[in-house]
Amino acid sequence: MSTTITTTASGYLLVLAIMWPVAGIMLSFVTSGRGVERLACVVLPVGFGIAVAVLIAVAQGGQSQIYVVGDWAPPLGIALRADGISAAMMLTTAIVMCATGLFAQGEFSQPSDLPEARSPVVFWVLLFAIWSGLNALVLGSDLFNLYVALELLTFAAVPLVCLKGQKETIEAALRYMLFALIGSVLYLLGAAMIYGAYGTLDIGLLSERVRPDPATLIAASLMTVGLLAKTALFPLHLWLPPAHAGAPAPGSALLSALVVKGSFFLIVRIWFDAMPGLLSFAAAQLLAALGAAAILVGGALALRQKRLKLLIAYSTIAQIGYLFFIFPLAAGLTAGIAWSGIAWTGGWLQLFSHALSKAAMFMAAGLIAEALGHDRIAELGGIGRRLPITMLAFGLSGLSLVGVPPSGGFVAKSLLLMATVMEGQWWWATVIIVGGLLAGGYIFMVLGRLLGSSATPLASLAPVSMRRELAALSLAICAVLLGFLPLRSSDFLQIGR
Amino acid sequence: MMTPMIASTLLASALAVPLAMMALALSRRGTGHTANLLPLAPLPALLAAMMVPEDTSVVLPQALLGLRITIDKPGAMLLGAASLLWSAGGIWARAQVRSQSQERPFTVWWLTTLAGSLGVFLAADMIGFYLFFTLVSLAAYGLIVHDDTPAAHRAAGLYVALALLGEAFLLMGFVLLAAGAPGSSLLISDAVAALPTSSWRDTTLLLIVLGFGLKMGLVPFHVWMPLTYSAAPIPAAAVLSGAAVKAGVIGLIRFLPFEAALPGWGEVLASVGFFSAFYGVGIGITQANPAAVLAYSSVSQMGFLAAVIGMGLAAGNRAAPLAAAFYAVHHVLVKGGLFLALGAASARLPRNAWLVMVPAAVLALGLAGLPLTGGQIAKLVAKGPLGDGLAGTLAQLSAVGTTLLVLHFLRRLSASAAQDSTEPPSSLLVGAWLTVAVASLVLPWMFLSTIGAASWNTVLSSEELWSASWPMLAGGLLAAVLWPWHTRLPRIPEGDVLAIGQRCLPSVFSLGATFERVDSYLRQWPIASMCVVLLVLLLTLTLAVP
Amino acid sequence: MNSATLFGLCSAALVGLGLFGLIVRPEPLRKILAFNLLGSGVFLFFGVVARRGAAAGLGADPVPQALVITGIVVSFSATALAVALVLRLRKLTDEVTSGLGAASKAQEDGDHS
Repeated sequence: MSTTITTTASGYLLVLAIMWPVAGIMLSFVTSGRGVERLACVVLPVGFGIAVAVLIAVAQGGQSQIYVVGDWAPPLGIALRADGISAAMMLTTAIVMCATGLFAQGEFSQPSDLPEARSPVVFWVLLFAIWSGLNALVLGSDLFNLYVALELLTFAAVPLVCLKGQKETIEAALRYMLFALIGSVLYLLGAAMIYGAYGTLDIGLLSERVRPDPATLIAASLMTVGLLAKTALFPLHLWLPPAHAGAPAPGSALLSALVVKGSFFLIVRIWFDAMPGLLSFAAAQLLAALGAAAILVGGALALRQKRLKLLIAYSTIAQIGYLFFIFPLAAGLTAGIAWSGIAWTGGWLQLFSHALSKAAMFMAAGLIAEALGHDRIAELGGIGRRLPITMLAFGLSGLSLVGVPPSGGFVAKSLLLMATVMEGQWWWATVIIVGGLLAGGYIFMVLGRLLGSSATPLASLAPVSMRRELAALSLAICAVLLGFLPLRSSDFLQIGR
Repeated sequence: MMTPMIASTLLASALAVPLAMMALALSRRGTGHTANLLPLAPLPALLAAMMVPEDTSVVLPQALLGLRITIDKPGAMLLGAASLLWSAGGIWARAQVRSQSQERPFTVWWLTTLAGSLGVFLAADMIGFYLFFTLVSLAAYGLIVHDDTPAAHRAAGLYVALALLGEAFLLMGFVLLAAGAPGSSLLISDAVAALPTSSWRDTTLLLIVLGFGLKMGLVPFHVWMPLTYSAAPIPAAAVLSGAAVKAGVIGLIRFLPFEAALPGWGEVLASVGFFSAFYGVGIGITQANPAAVLAYSSVSQMGFLAAVIGMGLAAGNRAAPLAAAFYAVHHVLVKGGLFLALGAASARLPRNAWLVMVPAAVLALGLAGLPLTGGQIAKLVAKGPLGDGLAGTLAQLSAVGTTLLVLHFLRRLSASAAQDSTEPPSSLLVGAWLTVAVASLVLPWMFLSTIGAASWNTVLSSEELWSASWPMLAGGLLAAVLWPWHTRLPRIPEGDVLAIGQRCLPSVFSLGATFERVDSYLRQWPIASMCVVLLVLLLTLTLAVP
Repeated sequence: MNSATLFGLCSAALVGLGLFGLIVRPEPLRKILAFNLLGSGVFLFFGVVARRGAAAGLGADPVPQALVITGIVVSFSATALAVALVLRLRKLTDEVTSGLGAASKAQEDGDHS
């Protein structure tokens, strides 16, 4: 048995990170719709501050920040742990949350003479719940605790899909819900088997005890595939296009940018923290092959979409694929192989930059749809001239997705490419390149329309608020600025490993 | 003599000023005529090219990626010529765009392309080079679509598709270069020095040649040139064909290891280059649109330049980069000047046609190496790497072809001018055009001593004058013979082999349809949930494989 | 065969039945029921784990039982949410078929085109 785990100096911040949005939920129940919007003006900035504080604490300490709940050390108690990747993930979440909050202010409010509807309160409650769930997910270090966080995330995400209440969005939500439930049960079954074999669910303790026996391997693959279903990795993506395209714009932004990343984060936790060294070469290749198929099929299908939101949803399927290259390319991380660090940084940068740019892109698409009254790509002509800021946001986030410098997406893809070369797995390099070309195809297809001549008289456009355009633009700019981070800062992502 | 402080400030401002102006035009505050900025933006670069001492370096702060910009001899020559053309083109663009509501976006695209075009001549590290290369490649999109016609959109779409392909080749090539470089240095010079011994040498070279060859329009990647230059507004076509294309040339100059002789790669590049040189002539003389003729002339000239670089690489000739840069400088000014002549011709009064035709003829024949023009010197300098063997002969034959092509251009130019004569261009525009034309005549004479390839006496010797003259005479003769036949020449559409590509397009679309069927099959509930079960089994099996 | 093995086999059978239902049953309500069956199988498995005492070396490990209680709460919420969605969907479908939602149907067709 190793040394007992104790709470570190800034450990209380971790509890705060999870509980602060929960406090927001509680207060939402006792206020009106407009009251919730004002409440969000407090909850969001403070939550952002907490994320920054955690980041600073981890960076300054140079090690994981830990909070042992109720002073009961694992295996009996549970611990919260913030390492480099969880702190970075929390900050990304906080940035997207704040921008989405800014974007959604007023989106669901109604004229004061009408009776108050439920949707404004519901949206903000779900936003807080997703935030709390994600923070719990990145901080948790107990497999069952993580299951609860995952379910909290799913239960908050599903209603977000059908906030508009139309029939097809409810169908999409139900499909999402049921498929996610298969994933949850598989994960829980795997967790039960792990407990049966090792008598603990604590990630730190597991990493010391784990051995490659059949029960462990079956449990691990059950958990992984369950999480893949929630991440919508090809071919388990059936629920994603209707769900992400059907949700209202701020909802799509949260779902595409953050929610699918939560379950991916957990897969990384399992293979790099709970069971280091257990991922065989063949299994890592299988995961990356699914990712490669996602990149190719998602990209090709995005090119064939007729509606902008569906195009962006298929682009999400493709971009998720890149994340799975982290498994074969960073596999040597625990052995301290230098280029595994490159792949590790590249994979996480891809996650962060995709989160920022995809949220910006869904917001821009929402604004375009709001102005035009539809989002049919063939009829977008000339809207870029009326909404230059929105178009700039779409363009910048699109360039980051394609991997055009200087942007986070560019650095991420070049690091992943570099890792494929170093690792001698050039076959993934061709997929990354072709994926970039496909992304270039669908982004320029839309940009060309936006810049082109107008089919409809632009005077008939609905007005769009400048504040919401700027919210989208600020996220797109963040995605670009990610490319300017000095590479030294990537050491941060290694803290706690 | 400049103090180092002033020199590095000037050097940095060469790139900072266009970018700052771009930001100004982008922001809401840049009201008024943003296009007024266009002629001014390249001036710091012009000053830097003239005044900053060689090998001055600036390392930008870490927040700007720690990019390093350096000015060396080839870079300075190209920077000077390109910034002069960008400035003259800016005067034309300002006059042409002013009347339209598209002023602000056009200004932004123009300045972005400009910054990229000048940046590639100065970037000393791979990140910076790739960044500026991307700017010049992708931002040109906005210049091409400016007229907002279906043809412009088609040309711009094709252009972007090929530019992205080139970017992809280069990205992978640069990654391999960086992987082969010692330590974590990202300087181009370090990476290229290590290239001959890199274990990925051939793949890297292939990707680099493909990427830059695409930008230079080497056959078969030339298809974008005729479409783009015909569709873009004339000032944009001038700067794109004159200055922006040289991003590919400087790329080959910077990224090929001339220190080590690589005969195989050099000869491949030279063969592709010569093929493009003759191919451009062959297709060019069938074109009716003078802009398309000029585009094919660019294909031909860039092919010739690739041949010069290739022969230099084959022989390990360290003087080849400078010779290629010298030839490229001449082409910057001549090609830009010819496009502006197209602009001047379309607006001049019919009765003083000679005012346009005479300078245009001197410029055009300069491309073929007209004695006493800059063109003669450019051809003379290029002889160094080409040598006297087969390559030298092919070079002389290509001058014959070029003569033929430019005579065809002059004929198309006078024909197009007679058709539409609107108001005459202002004296400012004519002045800008003639400045470029005069620079193309004078600058090569001035640079001759700096590069030390030959003396004025050599240029003026009767032997050299004859060697420059006979291809022109032969080309003129050929043109005279072909003249009665020219109506019988086949009408090849702009972008020639593109027609074949378009025939393949349906099969690509059917591939997309196949993907769509696969997707809708997999997205059925029973199939997807069976996939879950299958994946569990598959993953368990692969985990059990050691 | 001891009781732990018997219950283990039962749980495996429940998981298999639940999975089968989830895969082949097209009706949402049956899928929800199948999910509950699947969930019960997993909870039973937790019980088996507890009975066997696992690595803790106890006769009846209390931890899995605590986990099962939490799991049941989660699964109950999931069922409630899914049933709420099914009910809402049913209501909208009824409106459309009875002609009350003709306008929304027309709009929907427009969206699909």
